[in-house]
Order: sequence, then structure tokens, then C-alpha cells
Amino acid sequence: MTAEIGQAAIYLSVLSCLWAIGFLSFGLWIRNARAIQSGRNAVVATFILISIATGALIYGFLTDDFSMRYVVEVSSAAQPVLYKITALWGAMSGSLLFWLWLLTVGGVIVVWQNYQRNKQTQDTLADYSLIPIAIVQLFFTILVTGLIEGVYNPLARFPGGQVAADGQGMNSLLQTPLMAIHPPTLYIGWISLTVPFAFAVGALASGRIGSGWILRSRRWMLFSWIILTIGITLGGNWAYQELGWGGYWAWDPVENASFMPWLLGTAYLHSVMIQEKRNMLKLWNILLITLAFQFTLLGTFITRSGIITSVHAFAQSDIGGYFLSFILASTAGVIGLIIYRWNRLKSANRLEALLSRESAFVLNNWLFVGLTLIILWGTLWPIISEAINGEKSSVPEAFFNKVVIIPGLLLLFLTGAGPIISWKKITANNFQRMFLLPLIIGLIGGALTWGFLALIGYTFPLYSILCSFAAVFVIAAIFAEFYRGAKLRAKRQETSFLNGLNLLIQRNKRRYGGYIIHIGIVILYIGIMGSKGYFLLESKSMTLGESMEVGKYKLTMIDSFEKEYANYLRSVIVFDVEKNGKRIGTMEPALHDYYKAKSDEEPTKESAIRHFGMNDLYVALGNIPPNVKTGGVVNVQGYYNPLIGVVWIGVAVMVLGGIVAIAEKSERSREA
Amino acid sequence: MQKQKRLKVIAASVILLGGMVFLVVAMTRSTSMRHFTPAALVEAASGADNQRVQVDGLIAEGSSEWDAANFKLTFAVRDRETEALVNVIYEDRLKPDNFKDGGSVFVEGRYDAAQNLVVATKLMTKCASKYDGAESAVPTDETSYASE
Repeated sequence: MTAEIGQAAIYLSVLSCLWAIGFLSFGLWIRNARAIQSGRNAVVATFILISIATGALIYGFLTDDFSMRYVVEVSSAAQPVLYKITALWGAMSGSLLFWLWLLTVGGVIVVWQNYQRNKQTQDTLADYSLIPIAIVQLFFTILVTGLIEGVYNPLARFPGGQVAADGQGMNSLLQTPLMAIHPPTLYIGWISLTVPFAFAVGALASGRIGSGWILRSRRWMLFSWIILTIGITLGGNWAYQELGWGGYWAWDPVENASFMPWLLGTAYLHSVMIQEKRNMLKLWNILLITLAFQFTLLGTFITRSGIITSVHAFAQSDIGGYFLSFILASTAGVIGLIIYRWNRLKSANRLEALLSRESAFVLNNWLFVGLTLIILWGTLWPIISEAINGEKSSVPEAFFNKVVIIPGLLLLFLTGAGPIISWKKITANNFQRMFLLPLIIGLIGGALTWGFLALIGYTFPLYSILCSFAAVFVIAAIFAEFYRGAKLRAKRQETSFLNGLNLLIQRNKRRYGGYIIHIGIVILYIGIMGSKGYFLLESKSMTLGESMEVGKYKLTMIDSFEKEYANYLRSVIVFDVEKNGKRIGTMEPALHDYYKAKSDEEPTKESAIRHFGMNDLYVALGNIPPNVKTGGVVNVQGYYNPLIGVVWIGVAVMVLGGIVAIAEKSERSREA
Repeated sequence: MQKQKRLKVIAASVILLGGMVFLVVAMTRSTSMRHFTPAALVEAASGADNQRVQVDGLIAEGSSEWDAANFKLTFAVRDRETEALVNVIYEDRLKPDNFKDGGSVFVEGRYDAAQNLVVATKLMTKCASKYDGAESAVPTDETSYASE
């Protein structure tokens, strides 16, 4: 019965979406407050209806209702409760429903914020923005109704009252805590990107294209950015721990699909500052946020349409076509609005000099958008190459690694140069006061890195030297910013330096939060440089008693055992670890064999990771033969990943900076 | 002055854009790998000899051999439509999860036409479909069933 209620709720929400779109448009058109209010109510109603549908599906999981098709697909009686719930986004139709539900939460929050705000002032910007939100909701609602080909209703039962004996269980790779939170994190990041996009559309529709819509949606964008940063990193961390290949990023189409909206969102966070400060780039900002939003949909298109082969074993279906159509139609809509509002989109100011804060921002935007296009090019190369010469080709990981280095290093340099270069035009005084010392310190940093790497056997690793130079320069430049500001505050308020620093950040959280993010970026770069550039990999077939060496470390295979868990069997090989000849402990890589996974699924690799400061020793197994105790051969891969811990720390600092920045109250008196 | 400034901005933009485009095109040309089905690769034969290629097919039933002592996996990729086979050797790397007879496989490596062999540097596997074969306990009624 609950499944039927859920299905009915989905059908009804088609109506409530239409209601919202219709009444908001009509109400705004004829300026009728009651019609507008009715439209807002419909947005809330959609949330309630989709919550009912989602709740009904979760109920189906918890009660093991194997007459429901989706439950059978991704759950099973033996699956632990946590993974019964996360099965909600374990396959396509459930993910779409979950995505839709998050979107309805976003809609309700916009309504609520608007309600709070309208106690003081009457303003229809948010009402305009609710229309695009409702349109996106309608698109997803139609997808999950199951009335169109290619997607079935997640609440549908099998035809003819059939009931499966048990579910098939979720892919065992996904049954880890990290995978329980990685997909929803990304979803939340993507969904919250819909709101600033909706505000941009609302601004266009209402004709108020000053910085008002940006101020109103700024925290949504920052929130989205923080969440996407966390989500992408969780994915990398999960891959590192679970997949047994010792890396965390492989430029897989699905990874790229999550990374591209992040790049565009980051570009947007920078370019809006120009609009606020100098009233430039109005059109650009609207295009950028539109692009960022469309890329969240494009990601789904790329990964679900089957046009690109990916290691992410996503279901393929006709759904790609619907997404592509929606992307094209909504982009056309935005372009139509832009043309309609063309006169109001002109910039009030122009670039005044090639070397200035403004042009640093512009360059930053070019690089972010350029990187996005490069990654898109590489991701879609199979399609592009086929269109060009009829031969399908693709580019390997190496393409991306090589091609992002130069724009990446330029961006790193800008991370330090942007905040210290003067507005309008760089002056000799500005250069001397702000740049000279950081540049010198950066050069020293680069030289020291060169010396160190030469000492351990790398003659002239150009990119590492450039990266270290830029990294040290940025750190010096940003620390100097903090130092100068804090000293000034301390002097003015006649207090200590630390108090001054605290005051400085408190007074301008967004700016200094941003600088903290920049420091996080530098740390991240150093981690990537070390772990991508200088890792060691050794492979060996081993029997009990044998050893292998990975750099300074020696691994000796000393034992094996098995242990039974609720839903899997864990087979372990024990290694003795020595560093420079001194015994320092054991490592236990394993294979997990899930009893109730897809019947023919192979065991999954559970790598063992040991941290030595920021460096990791990483061991993964290919197989464990039954006769391992009596001389059976085990295939072992050992990695030494230098500075990989720095990667995670860098991201943590970025997130911290984001939290500081988002704490700043969004709307100050300056409204357009 | 105004004109000169604009010229500088344009020059800088052109250099930056040109550089990026050049970099991307050069890298694409040097790393791009042609994509084949086993049938197409066998047909191309010497035309693809010693090139880096990608082959997309199925793991031929009974062809795979895992030589643990030498850390070596050998198998044949079968075409999805014809009987064409291409041999694959994959050394010093762990066998990927989900590697099993009849499963989908995606091979990346250098092709040796004389031996009809791909020396693989990367393997990707996928479940053929979770709704076929033994799992008939689950009703399969519609075409819309997702295949992984």
C-alpha cells in the first residue's frame, strides 16, 4: 500500500510543479499577491509529496518488500540497515528520486528565506527564482513517474503481483561508510548550484540585474562549493582505500563530470567579486552560473547515456537523451532572456590595464573555464574524434595529466598574485611593497626543492621546481596579507597581534576565508606534486616467508587467516614491515567476499594503508589461493605514496576557509 | 594610449588562447588511441600494428588464464557480434574486480598484429548484466532493465 501512496504522490507532484510554475508566472505578470502566494505554496506541496514518495521507498527497503522492483535491484534481506537506506541512491531511478527530493528541499528553503526577508521588504526576486526551480523539479518528477521510456518508477512493483525471493543486494564496493556519504554529498553540492542559477534566471526575468541576485544567492554558491569540494574528495579517498590501485584520481569521465561544475563554480565565486566591486562582467556571471548548472546535468548525461565508457559501472539508458534535451531547452531559454535584457547587461566599467586586480580575476576565469573546456574535450574525445574522421578514439589519463599542468601552475601563481595586486593598475610601489619579498622567498623555495630532488636523484624536474616556487610565493604573499592586516588592526585597537588577527578575520570573513582557501589550495598542490610525481610501485608474486622491497620499506609475508562477518568473509594476508632494516609493525591487506552480493561477484580488494607522517605505504592483493599456507602464490602490489596525506590536509584547509567565508552574513545594505 | 592598451589586452588573450589550443591539440594527437571492436582490429591488422589501441568486447569463455607465479593474466577478447578474437596479455598488475568469463572488458594497450595480441596497460571490467542467466528468480519483463 505504501508503494502505491508513494506513486500517487509522485503523480500529484507533477501537478504541484505545474501549479507553481503557472501561478508564480501569472501572479508576477499581473502583480497579484494571492496568485504568487499560491505558487509558493505549491513549491512547499511538492516538497511534502516527494518526501512522502521517498519515505515510501525507504519503508520498502526497511520492510524488505521484494515485490518492488527497485528494492530487489539494490537491496537484500541480509543487507545492513545503513546500506538498506543508502540503497535509495544505489541505482538510477532511486538516485533520481533522491535528487528530486533534495531539489524540493532547496525550493522550500528559498521560500522560507523569502518569507523571512519579506517581513521587512517586499521583493519578488525570489518568486521569480522559484519558477526555474519548479521547472527543474518538474523535469525530474516526470523522469521518476515511470511514464517515459527508459526509466521506471522507483516505487513500481513487478507486474502481475510477482514477488522475488530475495533482493540482489547492492554492489559490494558501495557497501562502505564512505560510499554511504559520497554520492549524497555530491548530489547536495549539485542541487545547491541550482539555486544561484535560478536567481540568475530570476534576475534576468525581473530585469534587476545589479548585484542583488548575486548577494542573495552567494551563500548558496559557497555552500555548494564547500559540499562539492568535500564530495569530490570523498570519492577520491574512497577510490584510494577501496579500489586497490593506489591512486585517488584517474580522470575517469565520471570524476571529470563532478570536477567540471566545481571548476565553473570556483570561477563564478571569483567573477562575482568583480561585479560587486566594479560593476563589470554582468553578462559573464550569468553565463558562468548557467554553464555551471548545465554541467551538473551534463555530468548525468555523460555518465548515464552510455556514449562514454567509464569505470563507474552506471546503468545505461535512454535517460541521456532527456537530459540533453533539457540542457538544450533550458540553455535556449536563458539565452532568450539574455537577448530580451541585452540593454541592461552592459558593463559600467572596462579593464583599465593589463596588470591589475581586475585582469587577474579575468585571467583566473579564463583559466578555470579553459580547464573545464580542456577536460570536456578530453572526456568527449570519443565522440569528437568519431565526428571528425569517423574513427572512435579516446585519450588516456596521461593526456589530462600533461595538459592541465601549465594552466594549473598559472592558477597556482594567481592564487598569490591575485590578492596582492592593486585594483585598476599595478604600480611600481605596489610591486615593490607586495610582490618583491614573496617572489624572492618563492625563488628560494624553488631552488631548495630543486636541490633536495637533485640530491635524491632527479636531475631537473621542471614542473616540481615551478610548483614549489609558486607555492612558496603564494604562502609568503598571503601570510604577508594576514600579517599586515593584523598588525594594523592591533595598532588601531591597541591590542595584541593575535587579537588583531582575530578581529581582521571577524570583520571580513569572506575575504580572509578566501585567503585560507588559497592556502589550502597550495597545500593540495604540494600533495598532488608529491603523490602523483614521485610514487613508487612494486609488484611481486609471493609465497609465505618471501619479501619485497618498496623504497626504504621491506614487506615480508608472514601469515594468513580468515574471519567471518555478518555479510562478508574477510581473507587476510599478514605482512611484517621493516623500514631501513628496523621492524616497525605489520600490515594486513585483505579480500572481502560478500555472501549476498550479486551471486557471481568476485571478492573486493581491501588494501592496507600505513601512514608515515604524510607519506603512505599501501599494499593490495590480487588473489588469495586456497593453498596459501602451503606455498600458494599471492600477487602483491606495494605502493609508496609520498605526501599523499598533504592532499587531504589541503582539502580540509580549503573547507575550513569556506566555512569561515560562508559565516559572513550575505546581504549588507548594498542592494541593487 | 587607450588603443595601445586594448592592443595589449588582445595580444595577451591571443597568446593565451593560442597556447592553450596548441597544447590541447598537440597532446590529443600524441596520446589519442583508436577504439576497436575485436572484429575491426583483426580486420585492420597491420594497419594498427604497434599502435596504442582500445578494444571493447567480451572475455571469451574459457580463454582466461591467471598465472599467479608470474603475475600474468592472459585471455582473449571476443567480439560482441562476430567470432573474432584478439589475445590479451596483462602483466605485473592486479586482476581487476569483476573479471569473469563472458563479462564486458575494455582493454588499453599496444597491438602486435603478427601475434594478434594486445599488450595491455589497463583493463576495465563491468558486469555483463545483473539480470541475465542464473538470476531468473527475478522477473524480467521490460527492456528498460538497466545493464551495468
